[in-house]
Amino acid sequence: MGVAAAIEYDAELMLRVKEGDGASFGILLEKYRGPVIHFLYRMVQDSGVSEELAQEVFLRVYRSRSSYEPTAKFTTWLFRIATHLALNWLRDAKHEKSQDRLDDDPEGGGTRDVADRRPSVEQSLLDAVKLEEVRRAVAGLPEKQRAAVLMHKYEEMEYVQIAKVLACSESAVKSLLFRAYETLRVRLAHLG
Amino acid sequence: MRCPIETRENAELLLDYCARKLDPEKAGVLERHIATCPACREFRDAQKLLWDSLDQWDAQPVSPDFDRRLQRRIEQEEQRQGWWRRLLSPLLTRPAVPLTATACLVLAAGFILQNPGGNVQPVADSAVVREVEQVERTLDDIEMLRQFDLVARAEESKRPI
Repeated sequence: MGVAAAIEYDAELMLRVKEGDGASFGILLEKYRGPVIHFLYRMVQDSGVSEELAQEVFLRVYRSRSSYEPTAKFTTWLFRIATHLALNWLRDAKHEKSQDRLDDDPEGGGTRDVADRRPSVEQSLLDAVKLEEVRRAVAGLPEKQRAAVLMHKYEEMEYVQIAKVLACSESAVKSLLFRAYETLRVRLAHLG
Repeated sequence: MRCPIETRENAELLLDYCARKLDPEKAGVLERHIATCPACREFRDAQKLLWDSLDQWDAQPVSPDFDRRLQRRIEQEEQRQGWWRRLLSPLLTRPAVPLTATACLVLAAGFILQNPGGNVQPVADSAVVREVEQVERTLDDIEMLRQFDLVARAEESKRPI
């Protein structure tokens, strides 16, 4: 009931944005700024790029306000835009060999990322190494599997919603997740 | 109850259990099964370990100027649209005009696309790049005109008869 009310509220806010209410856009931005940036950061693993992509996501939401129709959950629409932009960026970055930075020596291009995501300087070296392993393992997943895991694990989205975002069936999402978690369990088994 | 890892469909139960998304009743049934099934126990332990590892990946702090940057971009876009609106406002009062203008632009774009070389000699790459940019701009203009047409029609329909 609470979830349904929240869904209606988001759609209601977006309909108000459609009517020209900027304050409602501000409420949606406040609510979803963090989740969208965090999702994009875990997808592209670059803080600067994730914020740029998030700006584009909200800009597109704002641009599309006049044609918005609440046919799906607002978050489904929002994450569909975010996923689309992230997958496009990853595809382009592949051509530019940006992905190589993930496999490079930490002294190389990836240094800034490693420093950026540390919550504090007091964090132990062991935790930093573990975190790096987790980051690499997730980055090593095929893009759709990665998106599915991030939406399932961190955004706590339902299978049906992830399916709508990724434009596939619910059973395909379950299959994606099963394979992704299987891969991650193997890659990160030594952390236990 | 079938062993959850025998089929992927049922493995979803274990994934949900480890994600603490399973309702208490189903969780109870699954726990009783896990107690007697070494394969499921292994699966659960590995998945819980993975879940804990993923939990270590904290969210990034958001830049304090994120909203300001977004606001600036929105304002820039609105200013650009406002400029176009002022330029085209005399035309928008007559709905047939933007439609005609759109049709002309479509024809012009089609002509350019069908004659990529045109009168330009293939001497410099920069000329080709400029041409492509021009087509892109034309297509952008068509899209903008289309949107203005929609706005004009909406405004027209709102007017009292």
